Amino acid sequence: MLLFWIVIRQLAEIEAMATSKKVITREEWEKKLNDVKIRKEDMNKLVMNFLVTEGYVEAAEKFRMESGTEPDIDLATITDRMAVKKAVQCGNVEDAIEKVNDLNPEILDTNPQLFFHLQQQRLIELIRNGKVEEALEFAQEELAPRGEENQSFLEELERTVALLAFEDVSNCPVGELLDIQQRLKTASEVNAAILTSQSHEKDPKLPSLLKMLIWAQNQLDEKAAYPRINDLSKAMLEDPAV
Amino acid sequence: MSAATNDTTITTATATATNNGEDLGRYFLERSRLSSARGPCDMDEDEEAPTELNTINSSGGFLVVSPDKLSVKYTNVNLHGHDVGVVQANRPAPEKRIVYYFEIFVKDAGAKGQIAIGFTSEHFKMRRQPGWEANSCGYHGDDGLLYRGQGKGETFGPTYTSGDRVGGGINYASQEFFFTKNGAVVGTAYKEMKIPLFPTIAVHSQNEEVHVNFGQKPFAFDEFEVQERMKLQMTIEKMSLPTNVSHGIVRSYLLHYGYEDTLHSFDMATKSTVPPIYVAQENGFDEHDILYALSQRKILRQLIRNGDIDAALGKLREWYPQIVQDDKSAICFLLHCQKFIELVRVGALEEAVKYGRMELAKFFELPGFEDLVKDCVALLAYQRPQESSVGYLLEEAQREVVADTVNSMIMSTNPNLKDSQGFLHSYLERLLRQLTACCLERRSLNGDQGEAFHLHRVLNTAGLS
Repeated sequence: MLLFWIVIRQLAEIEAMATSKKVITREEWEKKLNDVKIRKEDMNKLVMNFLVTEGYVEAAEKFRMESGTEPDIDLATITDRMAVKKAVQCGNVEDAIEKVNDLNPEILDTNPQLFFHLQQQRLIELIRNGKVEEALEFAQEELAPRGEENQSFLEELERTVALLAFEDVSNCPVGELLDIQQRLKTASEVNAAILTSQSHEKDPKLPSLLKMLIWAQNQLDEKAAYPRINDLSKAMLEDPAV
Repeated sequence: MSAATNDTTITTATATATNNGEDLGRYFLERSRLSSARGPCDMDEDEEAPTELNTINSSGGFLVVSPDKLSVKYTNVNLHGHDVGVVQANRPAPEKRIVYYFEIFVKDAGAKGQIAIGFTSEHFKMRRQPGWEANSCGYHGDDGLLYRGQGKGETFGPTYTSGDRVGGGINYASQEFFFTKNGAVVGTAYKEMKIPLFPTIAVHSQNEEVHVNFGQKPFAFDEFEVQERMKLQMTIEKMSLPTNVSHGIVRSYLLHYGYEDTLHSFDMATKSTVPPIYVAQENGFDEHDILYALSQRKILRQLIRNGDIDAALGKLREWYPQIVQDDKSAICFLLHCQKFIELVRVGALEEAVKYGRMELAKFFELPGFEDLVKDCVALLAYQRPQESSVGYLLEEAQREVVADTVNSMIMSTNPNLKDSQGFLHSYLERLLRQLTACCLERRSLNGDQGEAFHLHRVLNTAGLS
């Protein structure tokens, strides 16, 4: 019995220790926030980085004029990159491959996986358009040799060719290949590869910083109760629950 | 309601607005001064790291420190546990970073190889091995054990001897010690002490000789920091965001600052992508506050950015007379300064002098104003003012400061303002301030150890660090 009480007391102590968080009132927190200096030009750069990386070339041009912020990449290259991306999104994969090679032939040469995915997308488009013979020929001549080099390519190829086996593809197990999402996936892969080839980061910084905010708030939760921003899209401080 | 009462109401309202406006103008003036060229932004980068061994506080008599203060040799014959040759670095390990690390090279393991590398507190007993006393930690060469002030060693890693490179480090992110041998991590241990710790080495048998490397030379092991950053980044990237939240924040930023042309291009583009991104609807933020007077704010921003201050003042007098009616207000002051700067920019110095006498002289001696006015006038002293210490005034950023202040002043005149503080900071700025404050607060609760967040640094390097 005595042991029981000792254990209970110890548990209570542990709990007290665990919950004894520092409480920071809204007033104190706002004072801390006011001490933080964020430079306007840094925020402008962050916005420019987003526009450029996401490929909003006209907006980036306008933003350069309206804010005087210099983009960290040649804006002309965005137009080319977006043309490639759009071609894939619209299913003109041959056109996209040509455009990538015009831009920089090394991109596909050094990136067999990307090249395979583009070719696979081309095959998907042929099947979508009911060009069965052409699709088979393309699969055997262009894709099969690549599959021999790489086991995962071969599996992908088999999965894609399986589309031909179904009369009603909308209801078959590999039907998702015909989905718009597949095009978008391929498009964003080629987009990232072009950015990397231009020694630019493939993702914009803003979403990572927003994730970092969520993470930093979670981390601080362990030690303190303070006003949080729960809804990022409203950026409003919410009082700590005490 | 009689005409008389009506008039009074208006006068009172204007008076209040002017007062608020004055405070607001001041607020932006002060803020811009703080973040200008000499602003205290990245203070903790100055923390000094150890560079050499501390010869004053070493256990003299048992060891000899070389003249370059980077190697030690045990010169005595050890008899007991209180004649260890211990030496600390000249400074404690810097704390406001993600990782600190240093290395030793065992030149000669001597008679018994009783060498140790570790960290000790400032008042460590300088005749004992690191790890034998409280508030210290040491990885010992003769037994490969880790000692953490508990009197007994813990199984840790391999032994080390002549020819080995051994490293000791602190990972502030995880609050751990870590040790390496010949370029590979041997192990880690939780660091309970939050006090400043000095890199420490010890020798304890005849002819033992050790060289220390505080980063003057490349380390045998240098990937730790990179790996730590990658790990952190991967953890962060796993957080999930609401769909298109970034688009919404960018959009509200463009609205807030009146970048109207950019906004239109952005809206057009997001609607025509596959699939289209409908920002406003999805995030449902209340746009009324930041939509207020958008095109007027845009026009004023353009005028200021083009250096056409006269036209900007003219428009303000026409559209928002309440903002500029007090000629001694902070906003008028900023605009007059900018006009002066623009005159200097185009080389119209005589006109600048005349303008300065007429419009700026009254601001001399006024607290809060004299700092900027002096810098402005100082522009006249240089043949090439761009290259002078006040050259920052001629940069684009200064125009942006004035444009941003005017922008906020106009937003504050919105009679239907929902969020009374909304015009002070854009959503983006609020989020970034919250992020910075969270990181700083967490560090201060961690005994002031670890890295702070600096947007500026993130923007100038790859990834998040």
